[in-house]
Amino acid sequence: MKKKIISSILVIMLITLAFAGCGTGSSDAPPASNASQPAGDSAAAEPAGEARFQSRTINFLSIWDDTDPTQDSYMILDISRQYGETVDNFEILHEFVGIENIDQRISILAASNDLPEIATYESGSRLKALIETGQILNVEETWKELGIYEYLDDGAASLLKNLVDNVGLYAAPLGLNMEGFWYHKELFAQAGITDTPKTWDEFMDVCQKLKDAGIAPIAQGGKDQWPVTRVLNAYAVRSIGNDAITDAMLGKASFTDPEYVAAAQMFADMAANEYFIVGMTTIDHGTSIAMLMNGQSAMLYNGSWVTGNLNSDENAAGPEGIGFFNVPTAGGASGPNDYSMNCGNILVFSADKYDEAVADWMKYVFPRIGDHAMNNNGTFKGYKINDMPEETSYYTQIVANALSGAENAFLWFEAKMDNETSALAQNNITLLYSGEMSPEAYMAMLQESAEKNRA
Amino acid sequence: MSDKRAICLMVMPSLLIFVGIVFVPIVWTFVYSLYSGMPGFNFQFTGFTNYIEMFRNQHTMDSFRVNWRYIMIVTPLQVSFGLLIALMVHFSVRRNKTLVRTVVFIPTILPAVAVAQMFIKMLALIPNHGLVNALLDLAGLEQFIQPWLGQTSTAFTWLCVMDIWTAVGFHCVIIYGALVDVSEEIIEAARIDGAGRLRLFWNILLPCLKTILVTCLVFSFTGTIKMFESATALTRGGPGHATTSMTMNMYENAFTYNQYGYGSAVAFMILLQCIVVTFIVSKLGREKF
Amino acid sequence: MVKLKKNPLAIAGKILIVIFVLVQVYPIFWIFMSAFKTTEEFSLSASYALPQSIHWQNFIDAWTRGRMNIYFKNSAIVTVVSLVFIVLFSTTSAFALTKMRWKLRGKVMSLFLSGIMVPTAVVLIPLYTIYKGMGILNTYSSLVLTYIAFGLSLSIFLLRGYLTAMPDDMMEAAVIDGANIYQVFTYIVLPLLKTGIVTMLVIQFYFRWNDLMFSMTFISDNTMRTVQTGLLFFSDQYGNRNWGAIFACIAISVTPTLAIYVALNKLVIEGMTAGAVKG
Repeated sequence: MKKKIISSILVIMLITLAFAGCGTGSSDAPPASNASQPAGDSAAAEPAGEARFQSRTINFLSIWDDTDPTQDSYMILDISRQYGETVDNFEILHEFVGIENIDQRISILAASNDLPEIATYESGSRLKALIETGQILNVEETWKELGIYEYLDDGAASLLKNLVDNVGLYAAPLGLNMEGFWYHKELFAQAGITDTPKTWDEFMDVCQKLKDAGIAPIAQGGKDQWPVTRVLNAYAVRSIGNDAITDAMLGKASFTDPEYVAAAQMFADMAANEYFIVGMTTIDHGTSIAMLMNGQSAMLYNGSWVTGNLNSDENAAGPEGIGFFNVPTAGGASGPNDYSMNCGNILVFSADKYDEAVADWMKYVFPRIGDHAMNNNGTFKGYKINDMPEETSYYTQIVANALSGAENAFLWFEAKMDNETSALAQNNITLLYSGEMSPEAYMAMLQESAEKNRA
Repeated sequence: MSDKRAICLMVMPSLLIFVGIVFVPIVWTFVYSLYSGMPGFNFQFTGFTNYIEMFRNQHTMDSFRVNWRYIMIVTPLQVSFGLLIALMVHFSVRRNKTLVRTVVFIPTILPAVAVAQMFIKMLALIPNHGLVNALLDLAGLEQFIQPWLGQTSTAFTWLCVMDIWTAVGFHCVIIYGALVDVSEEIIEAARIDGAGRLRLFWNILLPCLKTILVTCLVFSFTGTIKMFESATALTRGGPGHATTSMTMNMYENAFTYNQYGYGSAVAFMILLQCIVVTFIVSKLGREKF
Repeated sequence: MVKLKKNPLAIAGKILIVIFVLVQVYPIFWIFMSAFKTTEEFSLSASYALPQSIHWQNFIDAWTRGRMNIYFKNSAIVTVVSLVFIVLFSTTSAFALTKMRWKLRGKVMSLFLSGIMVPTAVVLIPLYTIYKGMGILNTYSSLVLTYIAFGLSLSIFLLRGYLTAMPDDMMEAAVIDGANIYQVFTYIVLPLLKTGIVTMLVIQFYFRWNDLMFSMTFISDNTMRTVQTGLLFFSDQYGNRNWGAIFACIAISVTPTLAIYVALNKLVIEGMTAGAVKG
C-alpha cells in the first residue's frame, strides 16, 4: 500500500515539476492575451474618449545584465518603468542570456515563430537572414506611421540599412559608434612621440618607438578574438578600400588577391615585431581596456562605447589622459575622414506580436533614448538628442567631433560574413598572430568558406 | 518474490525514463545523422553524405586527431603516474598512508570548470603573472616566462597536465587498493630468491596488478574520449582549433552552425569509437590474464 | 610489511611523495588564499604571496554581482531533486532486478548497465530537440530529467553489489511471516542498504553538481544557470579584470564538494572507485 502512495506522490511531483518548469523560462510564458486581463476597474477609471487599449506584458530578450546602469538593458527598462507609471497593467519582462547564446536563442524562437516583442541581435548578414523569415517588424514603416521616425539619427538609419544590403530598416540602433585607436598620452610622451600618426608608416614608427622605450604598443583582447580581427580589417580597408571585405564576400574580389594577402601579412608582421603585447591572446576585451587606462599598454583599437569606461572613476589615466586618432591611412583607397562605424547591438521587434500596446510603448520609449544615454552615460545611441548637456566630458566630445566630421563609413571585419566564415576568421586570427598560420593560408581559408557558403 | 504488479511498479518508472532519455536519443541521433540541416529548417534526407563529408571536413578530422593525441598522452600517463605513486606510498610511507591517500584524491572531486579557471589563473601572463610565471621569475628563469595558454603547443600540453593532475589521485587510490591485496608472502619469497627491485616489479607485481591496470585504462579512456568539459573551460578549444575535441566539434556544428544532421553524424562516430576501443581493451585484458 | 629501512630509494620516494602531495593540494590552497586579495595586491605582489589582509569584499562581489547566489540556488534545487528521484528509482529497480525473479530480468539489467558506457555527447542533439519540443528548455525539469536518467545506470550497478551480498533468509522469513513485497522492501531491505544508498548519493552528488555539458546546452537564460555554467559565464564576462572576484567564485563553487569530502572522505573514495573496480 505504502508503495502505491509513494508512487502516486512521485507522479504528482514529476508532473508539478514539469509544469513549474514551464513557467520559469520567462520567454515560454505566452504574452497575457488582452481578453484575460481584468477589465473591471480600468474601464471606469479610463477617461472618456481615450479608451485606447489594454496594455500588457512585453517580453524583452537581451544580452546585458540589467543591474549595471551603463548597459543598454538597464536604460530600456528604466524608461519603460517611467512609461509604466503612465498606463495601467503594463509590465516588461527582461530575459538576460549570454552573448554566446543569443544566436542560438533567436534562431530557436524564430523557428517556432515565437520571437519576443523586443530582442537584441547582431546586425549584418545574421539580421538579413532573420528579415527573410518575415517575422520581424519593418521599423521605418512602423515608426513613420507612429510619427517617431524623426527621432532616429539619419546616419544610424542609413548605416543600418547598408548593413543588410539596403533591403529596408528592420532594426533600431543601440549605439552610433565610431572606432579607432585610443592611446595613453603620458606613455606617448615618455617614448618621445609628439604627434599622432596620420599614415600607416608613421603608425609603424610610433609602435617601434614605444617598443624601444620598453612600452607595450598595442594590447587587444585576444581571447575574445573580435578585437583582433578589427586591426587586420583596419589595414585591409585603408589599403584596399571601404568595401574591401564586402566585395570579397560578394565575390567581386577574392580574399586570395595579393592586396588582401598583403593586409594579412601586415598584421602578421606587426605581431612578429611584437607591436602587440606578448600574451595578448590570453586576455579578454575588458582587461585590455583596463590595461590601457592603467598605462600597461599604450594603444587600444576600440569603439566609442569605451567612453563609458573612460568617463568613469576606474580610468586611472584621468579625465583627459587618453587620446584618440582615426585609423591611419595607407594609400588613398580610404580617406582620412572615413571611419569604421556601426550601430552596436541592435533591437528587433516581432511582427506578429506588434499591436497597439507595443506601439504605445514604442512611442514613449524611443524618443527618450537619446537623452537618457547622453545624460546618464555620455554615450550616443543613434537617436536625436534634444537636451544636450551643456558640458560634456572630453571623451564624449572626441566622439561627437568624429561623428560630425565623418565622411564615409566602413564596417567591421565580420559584418558581411556568414556564421561559418566569421567563426573561422575569428578562431584562426590567433594562429595568424602567433605565426602558426601563414597570411596566404588564412586568406585562402576565408575564401574557401566564403565560396562554400555563397553557393 | 515474483509479484508481477510489484515488479512493474518498481522497474517501470526507471526503465521508462532511462530508455526515453538514454536509448531513444541514440537511435534518434543515428536517424538525424542521415539528414542535412536542422529540423524544421532545410531538413533533408541525404543518406550517408554526412559521413563522407566528415572525412573531407578538415576541422572535424583535426578534432579527431587532437582528441586521439590527447587520449594517447593522457590515458597512459594518468594510469602510470597513478601506479608510480601507489608503489611509492606502499613501499616508502609507513605512517600517514591514509592521510596521503585522502589528500591525493581531492582533485578528483573538484568541478572541471573550477579546476580550469584555477589553471587559467595559474598560467596567466598579463595583466599579472600567475603562479607558474611568478615562480619562474622567482627562480630566475625569466626566459621561460610565456603566455602558456596563448600558444598552440603549450596550451595543449597544459590541458594534458591539468587532466592528469585531476585524475592521477583517483587511479593511485584504485591501484593502491589492489597493491595492498597482493600477498606479502609472494613478495617476500621472491626477495629471498634474490629478485631485484625491477624484477620484483616486472615479474611479480605487474602480473598481479594487470586486471586493475586494464580497468584503470578503460576507465581513463571513457573519460578522455569524452574530452569536452576541461577543454571548453580552459581554452574554449583554442588557440585556433588546437584543443578542439570530437565532442566540441560536434557541439560547434550542431549548436553554433545549426548543422544538426552533421553534428549527429560526428556524435555517432564518437559512440562507435567508444564501443570498438572498449571491446578491444577488455578483450586484450582478458586474453593476457 | 616489507621493510626498507634507511634505504636511500625509500627516502627519495618519501620526498617525491611530499612533492606530489604538495602539487595536488597547493593549487587549492592558492585559490582560497587569492580569494582574499585586493585588486592592487594582484598587480603589486607576486601571486604566491600571502594576502595582506582578509578581504571579504571579493566574496560579496561574487555572491551578488557574480550572481553566485542565484546559480547556487539553481544547482542546489536541480541536484537535490534529481538525487531524490535517483534514490527512489534506483533502489526499487535494483531490488526488483536482483532479488525478484522474473523473465526479462537479465535483459533489463544489462540494458541499464550498458548505459554506463554511453558517452553523453551522443544523446545531446536529440535531447535538445525533444526538450525544445516539450518547451522545457531553460527549466529545472530539463536538467532533472536528464540527471535522473544518466544517474540510474551507475546507481543500479552499485546497489546491485550491495544487494547481491545481502543474504536472502531474512527476506524469506519475512515473507513466510506474511509480509508483502513492499513491506519487505521498506522494512528489511532499505535499512540494510543504508551504506550503499549514502555512497551512491555522494557519487551522484559529485556528478550532478559538477555537470557542465547538459546545463550549458539546455540553459541559456542567465537566471537559470547552474554554478558551473555560471562560473564559466562570469569568467567570460568579467574575465581577468577582477581577479579577486573570480577566485572567490571558484572558491564558492568548490566549497560544497570539499565540505562533503572532508566529512565523508572514506565513503567518497569507496564509492568513486567502486564503479571502476567492480566494473
